[in-house]
Amino acid sequence: MSGIRNLIGLVYEGVKDNRLLWLLIIGFALFPIITHFADLPFWNDVAMRIMLLGMAAMGLNLVLGYGGMVSFGHAAFIGIGAYCAGISQFYGITNGWVHLGFSIITCGFAGLVIGYLALRTSGIYFIMITLAFAQMLFFLFVSLEAFGGDDGMSIDRAEFGFIDLYDPLRLYFLIWIALVVVGMGLMFIVRSRFGVTLRAIKSNASRVEAMGLSPLRFKIVGYVISAVVCGIAGTLFASWQEYVSPDIMHWTRSGELMIIIILGGLGTLAGPLLGAIVFLLLEECLPLLLGAAAPAYAENWMILFGPFLIMVVMFGRGGLIGLLSQLQVRRNARSDHRGP
Amino acid sequence: MLELHEIETGYGTGQVLFGVSLTVPPGACVSLMGRNGMGKTTTVRAIMGQLPLSAGWISRFGDNHGQRPSFEIARAGIGLVPEGRQIFSNLTVRENLKTFYRLPAGQTGESWNLDRVLALFPRLAERLEHAGSHLSGGEQQMLAIGRALMTNPKLLILDEATEGLAPIIRHQIWECLNLLKQDGQSILIIDKNVDAIAKLADHHYILDKGKVVWQGDSISLMRTPDLKSRYLGV
Repeated sequence: MSGIRNLIGLVYEGVKDNRLLWLLIIGFALFPIITHFADLPFWNDVAMRIMLLGMAAMGLNLVLGYGGMVSFGHAAFIGIGAYCAGISQFYGITNGWVHLGFSIITCGFAGLVIGYLALRTSGIYFIMITLAFAQMLFFLFVSLEAFGGDDGMSIDRAEFGFIDLYDPLRLYFLIWIALVVVGMGLMFIVRSRFGVTLRAIKSNASRVEAMGLSPLRFKIVGYVISAVVCGIAGTLFASWQEYVSPDIMHWTRSGELMIIIILGGLGTLAGPLLGAIVFLLLEECLPLLLGAAAPAYAENWMILFGPFLIMVVMFGRGGLIGLLSQLQVRRNARSDHRGP
Repeated sequence: MLELHEIETGYGTGQVLFGVSLTVPPGACVSLMGRNGMGKTTTVRAIMGQLPLSAGWISRFGDNHGQRPSFEIARAGIGLVPEGRQIFSNLTVRENLKTFYRLPAGQTGESWNLDRVLALFPRLAERLEHAGSHLSGGEQQMLAIGRALMTNPKLLILDEATEGLAPIIRHQIWECLNLLKQDGQSILIIDKNVDAIAKLADHHYILDKGKVVWQGDSISLMRTPDLKSRYLGV
């Protein structure tokens, strides 16, 4: 009994300290109500995409933001997760839980092998090695003609027992539940001694070693966890898209994940999700805006997006989360100034 | 407890230590002195297993291990307070302390935990939720010592623990080291403050150009006339 009470206490503390993350997640739960009454079902699709990429970015953030490991190959794990669903479907295994299990094991193993080899290096070498592994896997799937090669393959949505994914709302809430589970899991990990050690390693790895802990082991475990989270996102991505191709693991997606994290806020729990919301909404809205102003240039929306990213990085140290907390500090300072 | 036998090591092709021997008996406080660049910190790095030895051997707690990963050496019971403090600036004081808490098997006497470290350094208790980067130099030094104590080390190594601190803080640190020594803590200390160190430590080694040029107890340290001017530059 007291164990359960402790757990509830821990969850309560964690949620209290990460209000923004859980507000965003609750927002996603309520979003379909808005789209239902506004009759905009297309935006449910956008929200699902945001949740999936946000989830993957949260996974990458564990190593990038908390552990200081700049992995430029995490799209590979999204791809492996997606192909786990695709290949299972190809061989007639339609149960989504099996896909997820398959994905978790495969991504965990791939993360272990890549992490074990790549984490012996650091800095620019680490970036290049993770990118190299991701490119190897990319071209591996391009060359697998049986699974569609370059063109990829169409797949059915997985069967999750009682959850019929062809009902769009059920798919939406399956993804939402996965987001809750991932958010809760990462929250516990980040707040645990393991998470603190990971941050200590980011600050000074050799000091951690002198304190009697092996940085490499912690980094590898962190890398595996982040790979698994990206794999889960990838598996659900495949069901959402009803299609798998090597495109899902193109190296530009690794960059996209990094941009999402930096935009939102490195090393914060809510940052990657907030980053995904802003990034993908801008991706949807900027072409429309630009199209209204100058129809001929609608497809060049990146010309607005680029400067925006640069401004956030320059003025908001710590991304959008950093900007928000700066505003908070300023508001507090102003109310302090006025005094009671 | 700790024994270095004729160790030679260095960085790349540049040899720094040319046969250093040194012993820290259980419960003793031993000092290592010398001018800058004479190999003091290099000796510490060799003890911690961060540098490969080209000759000689180091025995830690009786087991005559050769090369072991550095973290295993620390785990065996060496607590290091590094030069320049090097606390984790992105962690809070509490996180800095609690993350490395450890109870070695066969621990005798009262063990160190968060409460006891905070009792030793009440200043840290006031700043428990502050980030390491927001601490003053003296507080950082207390945190570095507290962090090392949290691993319940059999041997505590302090590398320039009072360097660059205000005299009053320095005094506090020396007092705290005295307490630790009375507690029976084995200590290897590197410092430039000869008078304070002569009071604290039982045995002294002086390094010059990577060699031990003098060793002895506090009385002979203070009585040997040209020692300070020749090797310590004071």
